[in-house]
Amino acid sequence: MSNIMEIIKKYPREKRYTLAMLQDVQKHFNYIPRQALEMISEYVNTPLSNLYSMATFYKALSLKPKGKYVIKVCDGTACHIRSSMVLIDEIYNILKIRPGETTEDGMFSLETVNCLGSCAIAPVMVVNDKYYGKVSPAMVREIIKEYGGEKNE
Amino acid sequence: MIIKIDGKECTAQKGEYLLNVARRNGIEIPTLCHSDALPGIGSCRICIVEVVEKGRSRIVTSCIFPVMGEIEVLTNSKKIRDMRKTLLMLYLARVPENETIKKLAKEYGAKVPQRFSVDKSEDCILCGLCVKACESLGSSAISTVNRGVTKKVSTPYDEPSKECIGCGSCAFVCPTNAIRIEEKNGIRTIWNKDFELVRCKKCGEYFATKEQIEYINKKKDFNLEDEMLCDKCKKKKAGERLKDVFEDYKE
Ligand code: SF4
Ligand code: FES
Ligand code: FES
Repeated sequence: MSNIMEIIKKYPREKRYTLAMLQDVQKHFNYIPRQALEMISEYVNTPLSNLYSMATFYKALSLKPKGKYVIKVCDGTACHIRSSMVLIDEIYNILKIRPGETTEDGMFSLETVNCLGSCAIAPVMVVNDKYYGKVSPAMVREIIKEYGGEKNE
Repeated sequence: MIIKIDGKECTAQKGEYLLNVARRNGIEIPTLCHSDALPGIGSCRICIVEVVEKGRSRIVTSCIFPVMGEIEVLTNSKKIRDMRKTLLMLYLARVPENETIKKLAKEYGAKVPQRFSVDKSEDCILCGLCVKACESLGSSAISTVNRGVTKKVSTPYDEPSKECIGCGSCAFVCPTNAIRIEEKNGIRTIWNKDFELVRCKKCGEYFATKEQIEYINKKKDFNLEDEMLCDKCKKKKAGERLKDVFEDYKE
Protein backbone atom coordinates (compact mmCIF):
# COMPACT_ATOMS: atom_id res chain seq x y z
CA MET A 1 0.00 0.00 0.00
CA SER A 2 2.62 2.50 -1.05
CA ASN A 3 -0.29 4.64 -2.28
CA ILE A 4 -1.29 5.45 1.25
CA MET A 5 2.21 6.52 2.17
CA GLU A 6 2.34 8.79 -0.84
CA ILE A 7 -0.86 10.48 0.22
CA ILE A 8 0.11 11.04 3.81
CA LYS A 9 3.72 11.96 3.11
CA LYS A 10 2.53 15.15 1.49
CA TYR A 11 1.95 16.44 5.00
CA PRO A 12 4.43 17.15 7.79
CA ARG A 13 4.55 14.59 10.59
CA GLU A 14 2.33 16.61 12.86
CA LYS A 15 -0.89 15.72 14.56
CA ARG A 16 -2.74 18.77 13.30
CA TYR A 17 -2.65 17.44 9.74
CA THR A 18 -4.44 14.18 10.54
CA LEU A 19 -7.85 15.32 9.39
CA ALA A 20 -6.44 16.54 6.08
CA MET A 21 -4.69 13.20 5.60
CA LEU A 22 -7.86 11.29 6.38
CA GLN A 23 -9.82 13.40 3.91
CA ASP A 24 -7.27 12.72 1.18
CA VAL A 25 -7.28 9.00 1.88
CA GLN A 26 -11.08 9.01 1.82
CA LYS A 27 -11.06 10.78 -1.52
CA HIS A 28 -8.57 8.40 -3.05
CA PHE A 29 -10.04 5.09 -1.87
CA ASN A 30 -13.64 6.14 -1.28
CA TYR A 31 -13.12 4.97 2.29
CA ILE A 32 -10.43 4.72 4.96
CA PRO A 33 -8.69 1.37 4.85
CA ARG A 34 -7.59 0.06 8.21
CA GLN A 35 -4.02 0.04 7.05
CA ALA A 36 -4.20 3.75 6.34
CA LEU A 37 -5.45 4.48 9.82
CA GLU A 38 -2.59 2.46 11.27
CA MET A 39 -0.01 4.13 9.05
CA ILE A 40 -1.18 7.62 9.91
CA SER A 41 -1.16 6.69 13.59
CA GLU A 42 2.49 5.78 13.30
CA TYR A 43 3.38 8.67 11.01
CA VAL A 44 2.08 11.40 13.31
CA ASN A 45 2.76 9.43 16.48
CA THR A 46 -0.84 9.53 17.67
CA PRO A 47 -2.75 6.67 19.30
CA LEU A 48 -4.89 4.62 16.92
CA SER A 49 -7.87 5.18 19.22
CA ASN A 50 -7.72 8.93 18.55
CA LEU A 51 -7.79 8.42 14.83
CA TYR A 52 -10.54 5.85 15.05
CA SER A 53 -12.55 8.31 17.09
CA MET A 54 -12.13 10.93 14.36
CA ALA A 55 -12.85 8.55 11.51
CA THR A 56 -16.11 7.46 13.11
CA PHE A 57 -17.11 10.98 14.09
CA TYR A 58 -17.05 12.84 10.78
CA LYS A 59 -19.73 11.97 8.28
CA ALA A 60 -17.38 12.74 5.41
CA LEU A 61 -15.15 9.87 6.50
CA SER A 62 -16.12 6.25 6.18
CA LEU A 63 -14.51 3.03 7.35
CA LYS A 64 -16.52 0.97 4.91
CA PRO A 65 -16.03 1.33 1.16
CA LYS A 66 -18.52 3.76 -0.31
CA GLY A 67 -20.05 3.48 -3.75
CA LYS A 68 -18.53 5.04 -6.84
CA TYR A 69 -21.52 7.37 -6.85
CA VAL A 70 -22.66 8.77 -3.56
CA ILE A 71 -26.28 9.85 -3.65
CA LYS A 72 -27.22 12.40 -1.05
CA VAL A 73 -30.85 13.11 -0.49
CA CYS A 74 -31.53 16.23 1.51
CA ASP A 75 -33.83 15.64 4.43
CA GLY A 76 -33.64 19.15 5.85
CA THR A 77 -36.84 20.90 6.86
CA ALA A 78 -37.72 22.32 3.45
CA CYS A 79 -36.91 19.12 1.59
CA HIS A 80 -38.64 16.99 4.19
CA ILE A 81 -41.84 18.99 3.76
CA ARG A 82 -41.54 18.52 0.04
CA SER A 83 -41.50 14.74 0.46
CA SER A 84 -37.82 13.83 0.46
CA MET A 85 -38.87 10.55 2.09
CA VAL A 86 -40.64 9.57 -1.10
CA LEU A 87 -37.35 9.95 -2.96
CA ILE A 88 -35.59 7.78 -0.42
CA ASP A 89 -38.29 5.11 -0.82
CA GLU A 90 -37.99 5.31 -4.58
CA ILE A 91 -34.22 4.85 -4.39
CA TYR A 92 -34.82 1.79 -2.24
CA ASN A 93 -37.21 0.42 -4.85
CA ILE A 94 -34.63 0.84 -7.57
CA LEU A 95 -31.33 0.11 -5.86
CA LYS A 96 -32.40 -1.73 -2.68
CA ILE A 97 -30.30 0.46 -0.43
CA ARG A 98 -31.29 2.51 2.57
CA PRO A 99 -29.44 5.55 3.94
CA GLY A 100 -25.95 4.52 5.04
CA GLU A 101 -25.83 1.52 2.70
CA THR A 102 -24.00 0.71 -0.51
CA THR A 103 -25.13 -1.45 -3.42
CA GLU A 104 -23.48 -4.85 -3.71
CA ASP A 105 -21.76 -3.95 -6.95
CA GLY A 106 -20.15 -0.97 -5.21
CA MET A 107 -21.71 1.53 -7.60
CA PHE A 108 -24.07 3.51 -5.36
CA SER A 109 -24.21 4.67 -1.76
CA LEU A 110 -27.12 6.49 -0.21
CA GLU A 111 -26.92 9.14 2.46
CA THR A 112 -29.23 11.73 3.87
CA VAL A 113 -28.05 15.23 4.72
CA ASN A 114 -29.62 18.07 6.61
CA CYS A 115 -30.11 21.07 4.33
CA LEU A 116 -27.81 21.80 1.44
CA GLY A 117 -28.63 25.49 1.44
CA SER A 118 -30.73 25.10 -1.69
CA CYS A 119 -34.16 25.05 -0.10
CA ALA A 120 -35.66 27.10 -2.96
CA ILE A 121 -35.36 24.08 -5.23
CA ALA A 122 -36.44 21.50 -2.65
CA PRO A 123 -36.42 18.54 -2.65
CA VAL A 124 -32.75 18.37 -3.49
CA MET A 125 -30.64 15.37 -4.41
CA VAL A 126 -26.89 15.33 -5.09
CA VAL A 127 -24.88 12.68 -6.89
CA ASN A 128 -21.18 13.10 -6.13
CA ASP A 129 -20.94 16.82 -6.83
CA LYS A 130 -23.90 17.32 -9.12
CA TYR A 131 -27.07 18.93 -7.78
CA TYR A 132 -30.59 18.05 -8.85
CA GLY A 133 -33.49 20.28 -7.77
CA LYS A 134 -37.27 19.82 -7.55
CA VAL A 135 -36.74 16.11 -7.86
CA SER A 136 -39.73 13.85 -8.39
CA PRO A 137 -39.73 10.05 -8.00
CA ALA A 138 -39.83 9.72 -11.79
CA MET A 139 -36.73 11.88 -12.03
CA VAL A 140 -34.93 9.71 -9.50
CA ARG A 141 -35.19 6.80 -11.91
CA GLU A 142 -33.82 8.90 -14.77
CA ILE A 143 -30.94 10.23 -12.70
CA ILE A 144 -29.90 6.79 -11.53
CA LYS A 145 -29.98 5.62 -15.15
CA GLU A 146 -27.62 8.46 -16.04
CA TYR A 147 -25.03 6.82 -13.82
CA GLY A 148 -25.57 3.37 -15.23
CA GLY A 149 -27.86 2.03 -12.55
CA GLU A 150 -30.84 -0.21 -13.35
CA LYS A 151 -29.93 -0.67 -17.01
CA ASN A 152 -31.80 -3.90 -17.41
CA GLU A 153 -35.17 -2.42 -16.62
CA MET B 1 -9.09 34.74 50.70
CA ILE B 2 -12.44 34.00 52.29
CA ILE B 3 -15.47 32.89 50.32
CA LYS B 4 -18.91 32.01 51.59
CA ILE B 5 -20.37 28.64 50.65
CA ASP B 6 -23.94 27.99 51.78
CA GLY B 7 -23.40 30.62 54.44
CA LYS B 8 -20.21 29.05 55.76
CA GLU B 9 -16.95 31.00 55.61
CA CYS B 10 -14.27 29.03 53.82
CA THR B 11 -10.66 29.87 53.07
CA ALA B 12 -9.59 29.46 49.46
CA GLN B 13 -6.40 29.94 47.50
CA LYS B 14 -6.66 32.11 44.44
CA GLY B 15 -7.24 29.85 41.44
CA GLU B 16 -8.30 26.85 43.49
CA TYR B 17 -11.26 24.97 42.06
CA LEU B 18 -14.54 25.68 43.79
CA LEU B 19 -15.38 21.99 44.20
CA ASN B 20 -12.12 21.39 46.08
CA VAL B 21 -12.73 24.33 48.38
CA ALA B 22 -16.22 23.12 49.18
CA ARG B 23 -15.16 19.53 49.83
CA ARG B 24 -12.23 20.60 51.98
CA ASN B 25 -14.74 22.47 54.11
CA GLY B 26 -17.07 19.55 54.43
CA ILE B 27 -19.66 20.75 51.94
CA GLU B 28 -20.77 17.97 49.62
CA ILE B 29 -21.43 18.67 45.96
CA PRO B 30 -22.45 15.72 43.77
CA THR B 31 -20.07 14.83 40.92
CA LEU B 32 -19.93 12.18 38.22
CA CYS B 33 -17.13 12.99 35.80
CA HIS B 34 -14.71 14.20 38.46
CA SER B 35 -11.67 12.33 39.74
CA ASP B 36 -9.15 13.85 42.12
CA ALA B 37 -6.39 12.17 40.18
CA LEU B 38 -7.24 13.62 36.78
CA PRO B 39 -7.62 17.07 35.25
CA GLY B 40 -11.27 18.17 35.19
CA ILE B 41 -13.28 17.50 32.06
CA GLY B 42 -16.47 19.25 33.12
CA SER B 43 -18.77 17.12 31.02
CA CYS B 44 -21.47 15.78 33.34
CA ARG B 45 -22.56 19.15 34.80
CA ILE B 46 -24.04 17.60 37.90
CA CYS B 47 -21.66 19.66 40.06
CA ILE B 48 -23.19 22.98 39.03
CA VAL B 49 -23.62 25.63 41.73
CA GLU B 50 -24.85 29.19 41.94
CA VAL B 51 -22.24 31.91 42.32
CA VAL B 52 -23.35 35.32 43.57
CA GLU B 53 -21.03 38.17 42.82
CA LYS B 54 -21.84 41.86 43.17
CA GLY B 55 -25.50 41.01 43.65
CA ARG B 56 -25.70 38.94 40.49
CA SER B 57 -26.12 35.22 40.39
CA ARG B 58 -24.90 32.83 37.73
CA ILE B 59 -24.50 29.10 37.31
CA VAL B 60 -20.99 27.66 37.16
CA THR B 61 -19.48 24.18 36.92
CA SER B 62 -17.76 23.88 40.28
CA CYS B 63 -15.22 21.19 39.38
CA ILE B 64 -13.58 23.42 36.78
CA PHE B 65 -14.39 26.84 38.22
CA PRO B 66 -11.33 28.56 39.67
CA VAL B 67 -12.04 30.88 42.59
CA MET B 68 -10.65 34.29 41.69
CA GLY B 69 -12.46 36.69 44.00
CA GLU B 70 -14.61 37.00 47.07
CA ILE B 71 -17.74 35.21 46.00
CA GLU B 72 -20.79 33.77 47.65
CA VAL B 73 -21.80 30.28 46.62
CA LEU B 74 -25.05 28.37 46.86
CA THR B 75 -24.63 24.66 46.25
CA ASN B 76 -28.16 23.53 46.91
CA SER B 77 -30.57 26.34 46.00
CA LYS B 78 -33.97 25.66 44.46
CA LYS B 79 -32.62 26.70 41.07
CA ILE B 80 -29.69 24.31 41.33
CA ARG B 81 -31.82 21.44 42.57
CA ASP B 82 -34.24 21.93 39.67
CA MET B 83 -31.43 21.95 37.15
CA ARG B 84 -29.86 18.83 38.63
CA LYS B 85 -33.27 17.20 38.51
CA THR B 86 -33.53 17.89 34.78
CA LEU B 87 -30.03 16.57 34.19
CA LEU B 88 -30.81 13.42 36.12
CA MET B 89 -34.02 12.90 34.22
CA LEU B 90 -31.97 12.90 31.03
CA TYR B 91 -29.37 10.58 32.52
CA LEU B 92 -32.15 8.26 33.61
CA ALA B 93 -33.45 8.23 30.08
CA ARG B 94 -30.09 6.87 29.02
CA VAL B 95 -29.24 4.53 31.89
CA PRO B 96 -32.58 3.74 33.57
CA GLU B 97 -31.27 0.82 35.61
CA ASN B 98 -27.96 2.22 36.76
CA GLU B 99 -27.60 2.26 40.54
CA THR B 100 -25.51 5.44 40.83
CA ILE B 101 -27.88 7.43 38.68
CA LYS B 102 -30.98 5.89 40.24
CA LYS B 103 -29.76 6.88 43.69
CA LEU B 104 -29.02 10.46 42.67
CA ALA B 105 -32.28 10.70 40.75
CA LYS B 106 -34.22 9.65 43.81
CA GLU B 107 -32.47 12.29 45.86
CA TYR B 108 -33.55 14.97 43.40
CA GLY B 109 -36.96 13.54 42.62
CA ALA B 110 -36.21 12.83 38.97
CA LYS B 111 -38.23 10.15 37.20
CA VAL B 112 -37.68 8.16 34.03
CA PRO B 113 -39.30 10.12 31.25
CA GLN B 114 -41.97 8.02 29.60
CA ARG B 115 -41.68 9.36 26.12
CA PHE B 116 -38.25 7.94 25.38
CA SER B 117 -37.60 4.34 24.55
CA VAL B 118 -34.72 3.24 26.68
CA ASP B 119 -32.06 0.57 26.66
CA LYS B 120 -32.24 -1.03 30.09
CA SER B 121 -28.81 -2.63 29.88
CA GLU B 122 -26.95 0.61 29.27
CA ASP B 123 -24.79 1.96 32.09
CA CYS B 124 -22.50 4.45 30.36
CA ILE B 125 -23.39 8.14 30.58
CA LEU B 126 -20.64 9.07 28.10
CA CYS B 127 -18.88 11.38 30.52
CA GLY B 128 -15.47 10.56 29.04
CA LEU B 129 -13.63 10.08 32.32
CA CYS B 130 -12.40 6.60 31.38
CA VAL B 131 -10.93 7.92 28.13
CA LYS B 132 -9.14 10.64 30.08
CA ALA B 133 -7.77 8.13 32.58
CA CYS B 134 -6.46 5.86 29.83
CA GLU B 135 -4.87 8.81 28.07
CA SER B 136 -3.27 10.14 31.24
CA LEU B 137 -1.66 6.79 31.90
CA GLY B 138 -0.22 6.85 28.42
CA SER B 139 -2.04 3.93 26.85
CA SER B 140 -4.89 5.64 24.99
CA ALA B 141 -6.43 2.29 24.21
CA ILE B 142 -10.00 3.57 24.29
CA SER B 143 -11.80 6.59 22.90
CA THR B 144 -15.28 7.75 22.11
CA VAL B 145 -16.51 6.22 18.89
CA ASN B 146 -19.26 7.40 16.50
CA ARG B 147 -21.50 10.30 17.35
CA GLY B 148 -25.06 11.17 18.20
CA VAL B 149 -27.23 8.30 19.37
CA THR B 150 -24.66 5.67 18.43
CA LYS B 151 -21.83 7.29 20.39
CA LYS B 152 -20.05 4.93 22.77
CA VAL B 153 -16.70 4.23 24.37
CA SER B 154 -14.67 1.47 22.77
CA THR B 155 -11.36 0.27 21.41
CA PRO B 156 -10.60 0.75 17.69
CA TYR B 157 -12.74 -1.62 15.60
CA ASP B 158 -14.16 -3.03 18.87
CA GLU B 159 -11.20 -5.40 18.92
CA PRO B 160 -8.72 -6.23 21.68
CA SER B 161 -6.32 -3.30 21.66
CA LYS B 162 -2.55 -3.62 21.36
CA GLU B 163 -2.17 -0.64 23.65
CA CYS B 164 -4.38 -1.93 26.47
CA ILE B 165 -2.36 -3.22 29.43
CA GLY B 166 -5.37 -4.33 31.42
CA CYS B 167 -4.71 -1.95 34.30
CA GLY B 168 -8.43 -1.39 34.81
CA SER B 169 -8.05 2.34 35.51
CA CYS B 170 -10.97 3.06 33.20
CA ALA B 171 -13.26 0.78 35.18
CA PHE B 172 -11.90 2.19 38.42
CA VAL B 173 -12.72 5.83 37.61
CA CYS B 174 -16.07 5.14 35.94
CA PRO B 175 -18.78 6.77 38.07
CA THR B 176 -21.50 4.41 36.91
CA ASN B 177 -19.60 1.14 36.90
CA ALA B 178 -20.20 0.75 33.20
CA ILE B 179 -16.98 -0.99 32.23
CA ARG B 180 -17.00 -4.75 32.62
CA ILE B 181 -13.93 -6.18 34.23
CA GLU B 182 -13.81 -9.85 35.16
CA GLU B 183 -11.29 -11.89 37.08
CA LYS B 184 -11.29 -15.67 36.99
CA ASN B 185 -8.53 -18.25 37.57
CA GLY B 186 -5.75 -15.69 37.40
CA ILE B 187 -7.06 -14.13 34.22
CA ARG B 188 -8.45 -10.61 34.00
CA THR B 189 -10.75 -9.84 31.08
CA ILE B 190 -11.43 -6.28 30.03
CA TRP B 191 -12.27 -4.71 26.65
CA ASN B 192 -12.41 -8.18 25.03
CA LYS B 193 -8.83 -8.93 26.00
CA ASP B 194 -7.46 -11.50 28.46
CA PHE B 195 -4.58 -10.68 30.79
CA GLU B 196 -2.54 -12.96 32.98
CA LEU B 197 -2.48 -11.75 36.56
CA VAL B 198 0.65 -11.61 38.69
CA ARG B 199 0.76 -12.44 42.40
CA CYS B 200 2.20 -10.26 45.13
CA LYS B 201 5.47 -11.81 46.31
CA LYS B 202 4.54 -11.36 49.92
CA CYS B 203 0.86 -12.04 50.46
CA GLY B 204 0.31 -14.03 47.29
CA GLU B 205 -2.70 -12.11 46.12
CA TYR B 206 -3.17 -11.17 42.48
CA PHE B 207 -2.42 -7.48 42.14
CA ALA B 208 -1.53 -6.56 38.56
CA THR B 209 -1.36 -7.85 35.01
CA LYS B 210 1.86 -8.98 33.38
CA GLU B 211 1.48 -6.28 30.76
CA GLN B 212 1.10 -3.65 33.46
CA ILE B 213 4.38 -4.65 35.09
CA GLU B 214 6.16 -4.73 31.75
CA TYR B 215 4.76 -1.31 30.95
CA ILE B 216 5.99 0.19 34.21
CA ASN B 217 9.39 -1.42 33.75
CA LYS B 218 9.68 0.10 30.32
CA LYS B 219 8.51 3.55 31.37
CA LYS B 220 10.63 3.88 34.46
CA ASP B 221 14.29 3.06 34.63
CA PHE B 222 14.07 0.74 37.56
CA ASN B 223 13.07 -2.88 37.44
CA LEU B 224 9.93 -3.87 39.23
CA GLU B 225 10.83 -7.55 39.34
CA ASP B 226 11.99 -7.41 42.93
CA GLU B 227 9.30 -4.95 43.92
CA MET B 228 6.48 -7.27 42.97
CA LEU B 229 4.32 -6.32 45.88
CA CYS B 230 0.72 -5.29 46.00
CA ASP B 231 -0.19 -1.87 47.37
CA LYS B 232 -1.02 -3.18 50.81
CA CYS B 233 2.28 -5.03 51.23
CA LYS B 234 4.19 -2.13 49.77
CA LYS B 235 2.72 0.18 52.37
CA LYS B 236 3.51 -2.28 55.10
CA LYS B 237 7.08 -2.57 53.88
CA ALA B 238 7.46 1.19 53.76
CA GLY B 239 6.03 1.38 57.27
CA GLU B 240 8.52 -1.18 58.55
CA ARG B 241 11.35 0.69 56.92
CA LEU B 242 10.18 3.89 58.55
CA LYS B 243 9.99 2.14 61.89
CA ASP B 244 13.57 0.91 61.48
CA VAL B 245 14.73 4.41 60.71
CA PHE B 246 13.03 5.74 63.80
CA GLU B 247 14.44 3.03 65.98
CA ASP B 248 17.92 3.69 64.64
CA TYR B 249 17.36 7.32 65.39
CA LYS B 250 16.32 6.65 68.97
CA GLU B 251 19.40 4.64 69.74
S1 SF4 C 1 -17.67 4.10 30.68
FE1 SF4 C 1 -17.96 5.23 32.62
S2 SF4 C 1 -16.21 6.67 32.68
FE2 SF4 C 1 -16.40 5.95 30.57
S3 SF4 C 1 -17.69 7.48 29.55
FE3 SF4 C 1 -19.06 5.83 30.25
S4 SF4 C 1 -19.76 6.52 32.27
FE4 SF4 C 1 -17.97 7.78 31.77
S1 FES D 1 -33.73 21.61 3.40
FE1 FES D 1 -32.94 20.66 1.65
S2 FES D 1 -31.73 22.20 0.80
FE2 FES D 1 -32.46 23.13 2.61
S1 FES E 1 -18.18 16.72 38.08
FE1 FES E 1 -18.13 18.72 37.38
S2 FES E 1 -18.91 18.56 35.39
FE2 FES E 1 -18.85 16.50 36.04
